[in-house]
Amino acid sequence: MRGWTALISKDWKLVLRNRLLLVVLIVYPFLIMGVIGAAFYDVGRPVPIGLVNLDRAEVGDVIWMGGEAEKTSRITGRFSMRADEAVEFEGEEQALSALDEGEVDALLVVVEEEEEGETTRWTGAVTSEGMGEVMIDDLEYLVETVCDYANAGEALESLRQGENNVLMALRMEEYPYLGETIWLEGEHYDASSLVKRYGEDVTEIEEYAMESQARGDLKEGRIDAIIVLPRAFIHKLKTLEEIAGVRVILDQSNLVKSEFAETSIRGFLSRVNEEITESKMEAVVAGLYVLVGGGDFFGTEIVGLDQVRDDLIEIKEALEGRPELEETVDIGIDLADTVIEDIEDAAAYLEATALPIDLSISSVVGRRLSAKDAVVPSLIALSILWTGILCGAILMVVEEEERMRSRLRLTEMGPFALVGSKLVLATAVVFLQSAVMLFMAIAVFGAFASNAPLALLVIAAASASSIGIGLVIAAFARQVAGAVILSVLVAFPLIFMTGAVFPLSQMPTFMQWIARAIPLTYAIEALTGVMLRGEPLSGVAWQIGALVAFGVALLALGSALVRRRGA
Amino acid sequence: MISVEDLSKDFNGVKALDGVCLEIAAGETFGLIGPNGAGKTTLIKILTGQITPTRGEILLERKPVNPGDAAYRLKVGLVPQEPAFYGRLTARENLRLLGLLYGMRKKDVEERVGELLSWVGLEEYVDRQVRFYSRGMQQRLSLSMGLVHRPDLIYLDEPTSGLDPTARSSLWELMARLSEEGRSVFITTHNMDEADHVCDRLAILVKGVVREEGSPAHIKGLLGADQVEVRLARDVAGKLDEISRGMGLTWRAEGDRIIISGPELTDKLAEIVIGLGGDVRGLHYREVTLEDAFLRFMREVAE
Repeated sequence: MRGWTALISKDWKLVLRNRLLLVVLIVYPFLIMGVIGAAFYDVGRPVPIGLVNLDRAEVGDVIWMGGEAEKTSRITGRFSMRADEAVEFEGEEQALSALDEGEVDALLVVVEEEEEGETTRWTGAVTSEGMGEVMIDDLEYLVETVCDYANAGEALESLRQGENNVLMALRMEEYPYLGETIWLEGEHYDASSLVKRYGEDVTEIEEYAMESQARGDLKEGRIDAIIVLPRAFIHKLKTLEEIAGVRVILDQSNLVKSEFAETSIRGFLSRVNEEITESKMEAVVAGLYVLVGGGDFFGTEIVGLDQVRDDLIEIKEALEGRPELEETVDIGIDLADTVIEDIEDAAAYLEATALPIDLSISSVVGRRLSAKDAVVPSLIALSILWTGILCGAILMVVEEEERMRSRLRLTEMGPFALVGSKLVLATAVVFLQSAVMLFMAIAVFGAFASNAPLALLVIAAASASSIGIGLVIAAFARQVAGAVILSVLVAFPLIFMTGAVFPLSQMPTFMQWIARAIPLTYAIEALTGVMLRGEPLSGVAWQIGALVAFGVALLALGSALVRRRGA
Repeated sequence: MISVEDLSKDFNGVKALDGVCLEIAAGETFGLIGPNGAGKTTLIKILTGQITPTRGEILLERKPVNPGDAAYRLKVGLVPQEPAFYGRLTARENLRLLGLLYGMRKKDVEERVGELLSWVGLEEYVDRQVRFYSRGMQQRLSLSMGLVHRPDLIYLDEPTSGLDPTARSSLWELMARLSEEGRSVFITTHNMDEADHVCDRLAILVKGVVREEGSPAHIKGLLGADQVEVRLARDVAGKLDEISRGMGLTWRAEGDRIIISGPELTDKLAEIVIGLGGDVRGLHYREVTLEDAFLRFMREVAE
């Protein structure tokens, strides 16, 4: 037993007296726990959401809506049919000017496929009062999904982007039911305040006048999603005549972030659904039961079907001996039974169904992205981090381990060449590895990457900073094994701190600041921007600039530390 | 060939070298001996430009020189204390790399590599990765790597440390041939046998200060003398005092043995035995070695 104690005591002393072992075995787990804990401890904080409310009476003089139609000629035909006078315009400028000047009350823009290519037709209409609603009905009937737009610019841009092939503009006064309010629990709510009321626990809603502004902020990560409330949103909730289609735009280039946002939005909108439905359904169901039992039916005192049936039964009894009349009364009793039964079924059905809001989810990227698409940029960024740090550290420490530094110092090659040659090789290894991964992801696994050449530029910029971290590590290691351990110790927490695993917006503010001091954060942002959102060079110039700056600074620091240790 | 004047190096206030002055002549093998921590490796690092001195200068052909200068670097070679090479490269690849880094032409490099591999006896193993070499082979390669650019002066930092006697002897032979070729050799060692065997001149460095300098014979003569070790049947201190006084010798007891030392001891041996008479049970004559001299010197320094 004494021997056992001696051996255990010896091993414990070896651990305590070896700084690396002490860090790896004792200190590091606490450090990792701290990093992950700090990243996740504020989980549940409100998701930043952008709200574009088109259900406002004051939004412009003209309202725009559009969609994708199979047969555009039918829309043009109906539009002209509803007009007191239809006018064909030669182009955009003339058509918009006529609408602005009030020469026409409505405008229809249609992209038609012809043999010689696409042609855009601009048709104006002078209409009678109330015709606007009919035109909207026509559009909703002939177009798959009607989208509302805040202004002409956004509507026409959607046409140019090929998102739809029909646009219709109406003067505001021709569009009914805008900006209505709903009475709930003793207060009036318009569309914005209703959404904010239900979303205040889980979201931080910022209102935007224009969808394009919100999209810009979504791409830059200032918000995690956009909710676009359609025109007549409140009217649709109140009347339940039709479902209110709410558009939700997500940044699917970050899967976790978009999942968080979607879950939050679905959660609080379902509460709107439930409570609106509940209050409305309660009234309807109560009305239905009044039809059966009698009483106050929306302000009118009525006799219920139960009473009608009982009366019919009494009449039938009174008519005993007159079978032809009894038969007629039986038909009435059966009808009453059937209607009572159907009303009860309908009431039960209504109590459990009819959600007034429907979500249509789309991506700010312009297409739905799969998990495979979204994960590729992060994987490539992590590969750059991993290989870059290891390559930078190992290539430098090899000289130390082989004890060749003193020999090389005497040769004609200066320190710049000795460090520079390693940087060239390390950059080549990191770049080629990441490039191969990128092309394999595209070619073999069918991942989406909209701008692969620009992605290669980002990879090159990101390589330098990762190798720089490796050089800094090399200054603290004397053997390859030590360099590998140190590299892993450094790289592992960075993975949690850069938004690769967990969205930055959900981290505490101080963790977001730390993330901004890590080059990998910019690499992930730039790669997702370039590959998934199709950002041009100007869209990721800031991130590339930050990567280059980090690269230069870390390479200079690493080289200085390595040289200083060698001195 | 090369000299250092008043060379000092402080590490955070601790003096590693203090006013060192040395001169190595062309074709001379100069040895620097001293205990661990005396400053030997620090001096080599300064001479090879790995660290800068706090004070003092290095003179090449009597002209001040900076170890970072290309002219100086091309004239000196280095064999570090631990074998230094790329273990996953072959001997040929290691030598070729260094030759190219020294700016030699490819053809010259190939010629020189063949010449050196033959010189150190590694021709048969040229294409084997060096990590599979024995320690002696590795040290021979290390020596050849220091010579690839034909330096006039080569620094060897404890080159035989950790080698077995055969490997050590083989390396001594190579060092002797360097001297024959007219190259200067600066060697640091704490192997006194090696210093005595290989060096033309020696300096003893203790705590960063050169305490003695001269040929091995001079050092031995200064610091020690031949000894006779006698075993006696009984305590005859009186007789020993008398003999010592009469012949100009000294004696001391070490356990059950008596150590008598002094000049021209071989001539006085018979007289000592006669003087001690029948009490002598055993006698062993020991020629003074550099190690004896060095140990005695270190004892004196400590006192």
